[in-house]
Amino acid sequence: MSITNLLENWSDFRQQHPSDDRPHREYKWAMSIDLDACTGCNACSVACYAENNLPVVGKEKFAHGHSHHWIRIERYWDNDGREFADQGAQFLPMLCQHCEAAPCETVCPVGATNHTADGLNSQVYNRCVGSRYCNANCPYKARYFNWYDYPTTDNVWPEPMNQQLNPDVTVRGKGVMEKCTFCVQRLTVAKSDARSEGRSVLDGEVQTACQQVCPTGAISFGNLVDPLAKVGKQWMTQQVELNKDKQAKDTAEEAAKLRGYRILEELRTYPSVMYLEQLRESAI
Amino acid sequence: MIENSFNRRDFLKVLGWGSATVALSGCGNTSVEDGKEFVTSYVQTADYIIPSIGTYFNSTCAQCDAGCGIMGRVREGRVLKLEGNPKSSINNGKMCGLGQAGVQAHYNPDRIREPLLRNGDKGEAITWEKALGLINEKVGGVRAENVAFLTGGVSGHVKALLKNYLDALGSGHHYVYEAVAPSVMRAANKKAYGVEMPRLRMDKAKVILSFGADFLGAWISPVHFSQQYARFRKADNGKRGVLVQVESKMTLTGANADRWLVIRPGTEGIFALGLINALAAAGLSVPGDVAAVVKEYTTDRVSKDTGVPTEHIAKLAALLKERSPSLIIAGSAAEGYAHGSQNATAIALLNQVLGNVGKTVEGSSGIPFPQMAPTTGNRQALQILNDNMAQDKVKVLFSYGSNPVFTAPASMKLKENLKKVPFKVAFAHYMDETAVEADLVLPLNSALEDWGTVMPEYIADGAQLNIRQPLMEKLHPGTLGMGDILLALLKQRRPEEYKGYEDFYSYLRNAMVSNKGALGGANADDNTFWEAALSHGMVKLVGSPINISSHVSANGLVVPAPFVEDSTYPLHLIPAVSASLRDGRNANEPWLQESPDPLTTIVWDSWVEMHPKTAAKLGIVEGDIVEVASKSGAIKAQVYVFTGIHPDVISVPLGYGHEAMGRYAKGVGVNAFKILDPVFDKETGELAMHETRVKVSKAGQRVIIVKDEGPAGGNQMGRKIAVRMSSDKVNLSKEV
Repeated sequence: MSITNLLENWSDFRQQHPSDDRPHREYKWAMSIDLDACTGCNACSVACYAENNLPVVGKEKFAHGHSHHWIRIERYWDNDGREFADQGAQFLPMLCQHCEAAPCETVCPVGATNHTADGLNSQVYNRCVGSRYCNANCPYKARYFNWYDYPTTDNVWPEPMNQQLNPDVTVRGKGVMEKCTFCVQRLTVAKSDARSEGRSVLDGEVQTACQQVCPTGAISFGNLVDPLAKVGKQWMTQQVELNKDKQAKDTAEEAAKLRGYRILEELRTYPSVMYLEQLRESAI
Repeated sequence: MIENSFNRRDFLKVLGWGSATVALSGCGNTSVEDGKEFVTSYVQTADYIIPSIGTYFNSTCAQCDAGCGIMGRVREGRVLKLEGNPKSSINNGKMCGLGQAGVQAHYNPDRIREPLLRNGDKGEAITWEKALGLINEKVGGVRAENVAFLTGGVSGHVKALLKNYLDALGSGHHYVYEAVAPSVMRAANKKAYGVEMPRLRMDKAKVILSFGADFLGAWISPVHFSQQYARFRKADNGKRGVLVQVESKMTLTGANADRWLVIRPGTEGIFALGLINALAAAGLSVPGDVAAVVKEYTTDRVSKDTGVPTEHIAKLAALLKERSPSLIIAGSAAEGYAHGSQNATAIALLNQVLGNVGKTVEGSSGIPFPQMAPTTGNRQALQILNDNMAQDKVKVLFSYGSNPVFTAPASMKLKENLKKVPFKVAFAHYMDETAVEADLVLPLNSALEDWGTVMPEYIADGAQLNIRQPLMEKLHPGTLGMGDILLALLKQRRPEEYKGYEDFYSYLRNAMVSNKGALGGANADDNTFWEAALSHGMVKLVGSPINISSHVSANGLVVPAPFVEDSTYPLHLIPAVSASLRDGRNANEPWLQESPDPLTTIVWDSWVEMHPKTAAKLGIVEGDIVEVASKSGAIKAQVYVFTGIHPDVISVPLGYGHEAMGRYAKGVGVNAFKILDPVFDKETGELAMHETRVKVSKAGQRVIIVKDEGPAGGNQMGRKIAVRMSSDKVNLSKEV
């Protein structure tokens, strides 16, 4: 490909957010998380450490906000000033929402974070210069910055703990922003296997690490384009549409019977993660 | 290999690739070139290794006693990640965070790598021959009854070998001690249902009422129960199950309950009897003797005693009557008192009255090989050992799989008594508090490089014998498996019997294959049977079912009145068992230390949970360092204030406060085991974990708590983040 060719046909090469005339073709990875099933047990978070070579930063760095957990459990109380939290807590696994119109992408001065053809919000580590604009612009606080060179930091991966590192995933260096990738290394393998067999990735063929470990099966993940995919069926049942910032649930008459919603949809980030509302029994 | 005389870098220089030299040294590849590292070519590949392709091997998780089936992803000879084994009916392919951290127990930098013999204050590395010879010499030099073996819960072939070794010594002193175990509940269940560990069918229940059983967090088999819970919440008929949790300190299960009822500590039995009375009043048929016992427990009195509002008692009784079957669970909170057995019996009685026995509380499967059945531990065993040590009756002590110096309350003076034992052998992974006291420390293989069989204590769906097999080569040549050590020790005593077994693997294979008929492989040839067992990671057993009976007697059931106030020690201490750290044996795994506590979101430290009212009364705010003093000792920790705790109660998590064990565990937090008062359950003699009374005073300092809670605390500040709705609004059966 010549430079001239590239410049003239730039729009063909540039990956942009799919829209009506340019829909997702083969794959659009998406997730749904049932908050009524999520117990807040943290298994997903630990599994993510194991799969994605996340550094354990220790108490002091954690205190300075340098924690690295691509998926974290947010815990909220809904006390209304009552004496006791007698309706329990609200747990919410928070991860990169893989927004279709990601606020982090537009502000990156070097294009290190961008959208892939299969609908992932990707982070190109070796392009990142560490401006942290993306972090500042992420409404979900799902991006994590490497303030230190963890491979050489004491007791992060001392011998022989470094032998556990997943060779399919890079170990990020100092000055680089990182975040949840929907376990892109697993997606790549599944896509490659499927391609060599001349088919698409089947539903359930690829799981993210958090989904695989989840003891209650609260997390579903799959290809939104695939009509057989569970996640797509869930989105459809809940009448949540990817390219809308107001869903059926937001209208008064549907609000009562639908559980699906996306977080901070009014910001028009069009997240790829749908949550299902937690339930509480009214008779008790 | 390129030889040093013909250096590759020079070769490149000759070619004029000057810049390549810079690039190569920049990549840190110099050591390869200098011949300091060997690069193995995959032209000569090992069996089953395809470069960059992970292979999964099945084994059994060793992080707790639930016995979940795991598969380890192995690439280029290294185990990288653990996943759940979908074929195991305990966890069906799922896992917990504690289990995930199993790789960190394996690759831990603080593992002991060779046998260590005490030389003054130091451990001196010795050979295994010398170590085993020394043991033989020591056990030969004392009378058989002066040899004692202390272990945590054991099962399978290691247990069988251990028994054989003790038999060979002529000593019957096997003490099984688990610091955190539902011993009182087991005893109460045995009495009430004839089964120690009945199957709890949460998936069949429409209502679960749990008295402080943290079945989603740290209770018995949490991954199994979490799956049952998911089916209970989203039943096939679309009717969502209702969970009510009654406890004095919120657990993870309590945080997931539809209604969390805070109760005065120790009054769980009163509450259960009050519910029976309320149910009888609502028209449920209750046997005469039960009615006679519960008739004094009017709703008003129960409300006064327990602190639970009358309206909630009435609502709960109505719900239990209307939605049947239900499931009532007596957890560690209810059983942790001097009258813990009475509490558990009262709760079992409620189950019986509601007709749940046989429906949601089912009989268990028998285990065809009792010699491999799990031995369960209790603290009483440790007490007996401790007394024996105090009276100089123990001359040689073996310790395996438990860390009593860390977990025993200070009032037991176990560390002092241990010093009276002339020769102490610790089988250990780390230099933990008990290993530090030992004279001989023998390093064990990790669970990912060891052979063994495991029989789980809680039988999920028919008995199964889990296989533990090495997922990779040993990391350290100087470690040995427990089975191998026991076999070597047995060879010293009974050489004729065991000389045919080269190692524990050959013993295990022989033991399994020669029993293949009973293990369901009657028609398979030896190799096929063995390969299948290894490939599945387990053998399903056909055990005769143990039927459950229901004969809780109300006669003689006296639940004592609530605690009287103690002006010197006004608060109750609840030592919390966290899902990550449990009794502290996994504290040196950094993922667990950095995994936030689900309720407080605190990492890397201990804390004192306190209700805002109590904090206000004492003039305490979050982050204040306080001294928590009981009759048996005192600890200092930071305060976390929240509304998930009774105002008369404070709670401190267990598992922290190691003084040894390794870089990630040592010096993190404080050890709450130490200040527990010596109060025991009157029927079983178990340590009443929740009986300790404490006083709290400010220690003057204040810190910023390191936690994962956002700046708004647990408040959404009006934003729609984690949303909740009423369950009658949706029809779950219409959902995908």
